[in-house]
Amino acid sequence: MPAPSTLDIYESGDAALRVVARSGDADADWATVHSLAGWLATAGVDGVHGAVPTYDSVLVEFDPYLTSARQVRAFVLLAMRQLDFAGTGRRKPRRFDVPVVYGGSYGPDLERVAEQQGFTTAEVIARHTGKTYVIRCLGAPAGSPMMDGPEFPFPVPRLKDPRLSVPAGAVSVAGRQAVIAPAKAPGGWCVIGQTPLTVLDAAREPLVPYVPGDELRFRQIAEADFDSFAGQFLEAQP
Amino acid sequence: MTAPLVILQPGNSVVTDLGRTKGPAFGLPVNGALDQFSAKAANILAGNPDNSPLLELTALDFRMRATTDLLIAVTGAPLDLTVGGRTCPQWEPVSVRAGETVAVRGIHTGLRAYIAVHGSFTVPALLGSCAPDTVVGFGLKLEEGTELPTRVATAPITQPHFGLPLFRLGLTRPAFSTHPVIDVTDGPDVDEFGDTADLLFTSQYTVSPRSNHIGLRLGGALPERQLSSEVLSRGVPVGAIEVPSRDELLVLHRGRGVTAGYPVLAVVTSRSLDTLAQARPGHTITFRKTTVAQATATHRAACLELDRLRSTIQTVFGLLGIGAGERWHELSPASGS
Repeated sequence: MPAPSTLDIYESGDAALRVVARSGDADADWATVHSLAGWLATAGVDGVHGAVPTYDSVLVEFDPYLTSARQVRAFVLLAMRQLDFAGTGRRKPRRFDVPVVYGGSYGPDLERVAEQQGFTTAEVIARHTGKTYVIRCLGAPAGSPMMDGPEFPFPVPRLKDPRLSVPAGAVSVAGRQAVIAPAKAPGGWCVIGQTPLTVLDAAREPLVPYVPGDELRFRQIAEADFDSFAGQFLEAQP
Repeated sequence: MTAPLVILQPGNSVVTDLGRTKGPAFGLPVNGALDQFSAKAANILAGNPDNSPLLELTALDFRMRATTDLLIAVTGAPLDLTVGGRTCPQWEPVSVRAGETVAVRGIHTGLRAYIAVHGSFTVPALLGSCAPDTVVGFGLKLEEGTELPTRVATAPITQPHFGLPLFRLGLTRPAFSTHPVIDVTDGPDVDEFGDTADLLFTSQYTVSPRSNHIGLRLGGALPERQLSSEVLSRGVPVGAIEVPSRDELLVLHRGRGVTAGYPVLAVVTSRSLDTLAQARPGHTITFRKTTVAQATATHRAACLELDRLRSTIQTVFGLLGIGAGERWHELSPASGS
């Protein structure tokens, strides 16, 4: 059973609350905010639209006509008591394998990141492919899988001038985080590679194949092999 | 089932609804009508459920042709509405005869207008909403010649006394201004801005032309974050005010990415988000501090106003036989048998 968590709840306008877990243990906080989001989603609380859990916080959105910040705060505290009692039952994670072409036009910021970390580009790739990532949350844009970054000595600065368009499949790092872009969008993260797999399929629900808690590994492929994956979807390994 | 609406001049229009409330949990913005009050009012005036698909027009002139008799309602920013060349009132139900053209021209003072059609349209949905999502690439594209399938034909409602308005429903229309006052509550990270946070209330801000459904960019005196520590990505509410650059204030609207790593200085109230949706580039904005309790009360007052309108419309349309047609016929004794 997890230790009871310390929660801070902040007003975030008249239609949202930000709930932050502060146990001092990043994994425990992550488990707490995702369990809380799950509880709120399944409890069907009147007026609560849904919850957006990320690393250590969850944004709870509601309709202030049907409920209020005060009532939602009470529901959150009730949820925490139930979760502390029941524990955070986690499902078995699925695994995803992501082929990536690094550098060149596929990863225009690879050399910048290498220089900034004091690495060769090969070392950056080795660190990026040398770790099993846990998908921490689905973020912007379009359900991006947000993960703790590779084992780099320094946080990676965001671009000073964000790009107006980053292609779908772009594999990026910033700060202590890593991500894949499911759709074309503007972006300020450092793009070090690109996967030929299609991550987002707007024709099906869910739009993306993973959920928070699933695991993911990157694997380097040759530029010549990029096209051989054309049209393939990112799927969980059997 | 019925003949479609034909788009003659799309201007800058989309088919939308009140938004994809299930989206944020999956990393998709809520999107949907930016001025929720006007969108709800249009649907209510057209005898529809509040969340029915409707047209949102932004800034530009728009024309469409009915190929069957329809009942419509136009709300939002002030504009010139004509149906078959006749000038018609905004914020009232309006009959359109088959073959007539509905034209919206000269949207002014505000930015967005809404056209609801009784019975609404048949359009594709994603996670329960037809609202376009430009990032995912979802949404119906309206072009010249696009046919929107309508679901219900409504025979023209005639007013025997020529010259008198057909309806006079007494809805308090929202005020539109080129100098709107926007209510905000303190954001969860207001303390990180130290004393500079007060600049938000002592300065005026000008809406940049780079503003859109994702966010409004405002020029003016900028509060500055006093910390330099990194912020982990987290969910940000619609209405969040951030200072991502040294040039502009960013106010996130319904198309906002659901997660971001910038501290939230303040949050625009639900009611003022509708006002912001009507702010045009060049308009001057003043922020006013309020509390969550007061913001909730203001939002509820607007909802109650819409509830009153809904019940008036249900009574009027019931008497006119609109919307309850089939049940009425079932209850009537068969005539002439």
